[in-house]
Amino acid sequence: MSASVAAKRLFQEYRLLTNDPPEGIMAGPVNEDDLFSWEALIQGPEGTPFEGGVFPAILTFPKDYPLAPPTMKFTCDLWHPNVYPSGLVCISILHAPGDDPNHYEHASERWSPIQSVEKILISVMSMLAEPNDESPANVEAAKMWRERRKEYEELVRQNVRRGLGL
Amino acid sequence: MAHTFDVPDSTDWLNTALPKLAPVETALRCQVCKDFYNTPMITSCSHTFCSLCIRRCLASDGRCPTCRAAGQEVNLRRNGTVEELVETFQSTRADILKLARDAIFSERPKRRSTPPKRKLGDTDLEADDTSRSSSRRTTRSQTQRSQSAAAADPAPITIEDDEDSEEQQPDDGLVACPICNRRMKAESVFSHLDRCDGKPADPRSQSSTPKTPTQLQTIYPQRGIQSPRPPERLPKLNYSLMKENALRKKFSELGIPAWGPKPLLERRHTEWVNLWNANCDSSRPKTKKELLNELDLWERTQGGYASGGAGSSLIKNSSIGGGGGGGGGNTVMRKDFDGAGWAASHSTDFQQLISEAKRKRNAPQSVPAPVPASPAAEPETDVNADRSIEGRVNGALSDLPLRDSNGKVIDDEGGTEKDVDGPVHTSSLSPSRFKPALLSSSSKSMEERVFEQPDDPIEDR
Repeated sequence: MSASVAAKRLFQEYRLLTNDPPEGIMAGPVNEDDLFSWEALIQGPEGTPFEGGVFPAILTFPKDYPLAPPTMKFTCDLWHPNVYPSGLVCISILHAPGDDPNHYEHASERWSPIQSVEKILISVMSMLAEPNDESPANVEAAKMWRERRKEYEELVRQNVRRGLGL
Repeated sequence: MAHTFDVPDSTDWLNTALPKLAPVETALRCQVCKDFYNTPMITSCSHTFCSLCIRRCLASDGRCPTCRAAGQEVNLRRNGTVEELVETFQSTRADILKLARDAIFSERPKRRSTPPKRKLGDTDLEADDTSRSSSRRTTRSQTQRSQSAAAADPAPITIEDDEDSEEQQPDDGLVACPICNRRMKAESVFSHLDRCDGKPADPRSQSSTPKTPTQLQTIYPQRGIQSPRPPERLPKLNYSLMKENALRKKFSELGIPAWGPKPLLERRHTEWVNLWNANCDSSRPKTKKELLNELDLWERTQGGYASGGAGSSLIKNSSIGGGGGGGGGNTVMRKDFDGAGWAASHSTDFQQLISEAKRKRNAPQSVPAPVPASPAAEPETDVNADRSIEGRVNGALSDLPLRDSNGKVIDDEGGTEKDVDGPVHTSSLSPSRFKPALLSSSSKSMEERVFEQPDDPIEDR
């Protein structure tokens, strides 16, 4: 099989992530015959209600990657202002510079071909720790986070425990 | 594309005696493709990328990928220093890597050093990989060494060192110009004579006793001498000002495929201009035929033959959610789908369809000619889809709480997803169960599997 530009780059990234993974992050193609669909695991950052949890997500890459960003979708229950109820992650690094539905993101924070899976996952990890409630994907979660922080944290902890099967 | 099998990266250094070479190597790699710089170009904002990478980025959004400053292709300049750095590093990489790895091995057992053969045999997979790839790399780097000699010297024939002229004496069917003694292909002599300035080239380059060519020598002249001056760069076209027919005419002048709707034509032309102009920057330009092959690869992976049709970024949505009927459809749309095999195994279905179509020809709505996803072919498709699902259930990832994203198409341009509903499953997973599924196989077996052509496009999903 002749490999496309995107496949080659994804393979490079896979090797890099496998040989030198950042702490708390794991990622790779779901099926090694298809490099355009990845599974990722993110550990909940310490000192946050997500601590102790492990959150699986699916990354789906476009054919013209890395010119265009992938999409990321959690496959577990994740109560967070920047994650849609469907699990889809809404974060500036996953948005191409051209499309900014809310006009609040700086171009410098958004997707560029020099970004990588590793940088996305690190950004998502810090998003878990520090939600951005300026343009919430999950309005209910954002309201709860802003107004009833205790309740929010308790709900997140419950989800984490349930996710671990406790 | 033999080099696809060989994927060295900066992490190769991590477990050696020289881990600090990892960032050195990272610095010699393009941030866009993550590979070593290929024909590095520097932008007006002083960032360096491969020529093809930066051209694609600029064509896509007109900004530098690193600092997002607006940039233009005309402002790109060759970065010869980086090119030289990359080539010299690559030529010595295998040797350093071997040394750095051996140093680790000889540190561990505090006995007398064992012969290298033994060491490699004793160690695990990784060492095996080393021996395998290092032998390959040596070959490659030798090639590169000879090529970099050519690169460092834009006019290799006229300004040569004594050593080089002995070594690079071509014996490849080229003929010398009767005026200037420059060597060239026989068919280009006449056109050359028209503009030959008569300055004799270095007579040493025309030694009458050529040696028997070594392998390297046959590679060298093919690349170095064939095109003494790079072809003209192609201008961009203002597609909105051009009618479709004019565009197609232009395509046939350029010698590239002219089929498909106008948006596809525009994308194909953009890619061709990028390929062509990047090739103009190269110190070792490829032939037009090679470029056409690359365009064909683009066509199959991103263009009109790509899975998901002509749309720019339709995502192949396979194993994850693509159960049921969607799975079958995707199989047919795969870029490596074996069309001939499919046609053979479904010939009866197709025949049936054709005969039905002929029968219905007089009816107001005639059935179109056989299409792979036609109803008659579907039972077979479903069987296969079911089988592949079953395979998945048995697979290591089966207990993943997958949300169904069945056959969904993600519109990348808008960055939006069509379905934002559906029940959210509760995760019941522990990290330890997950690890093997993701990262169990060594990168070596990964290499082999990923780039292998699957025999059966359905099974391999």
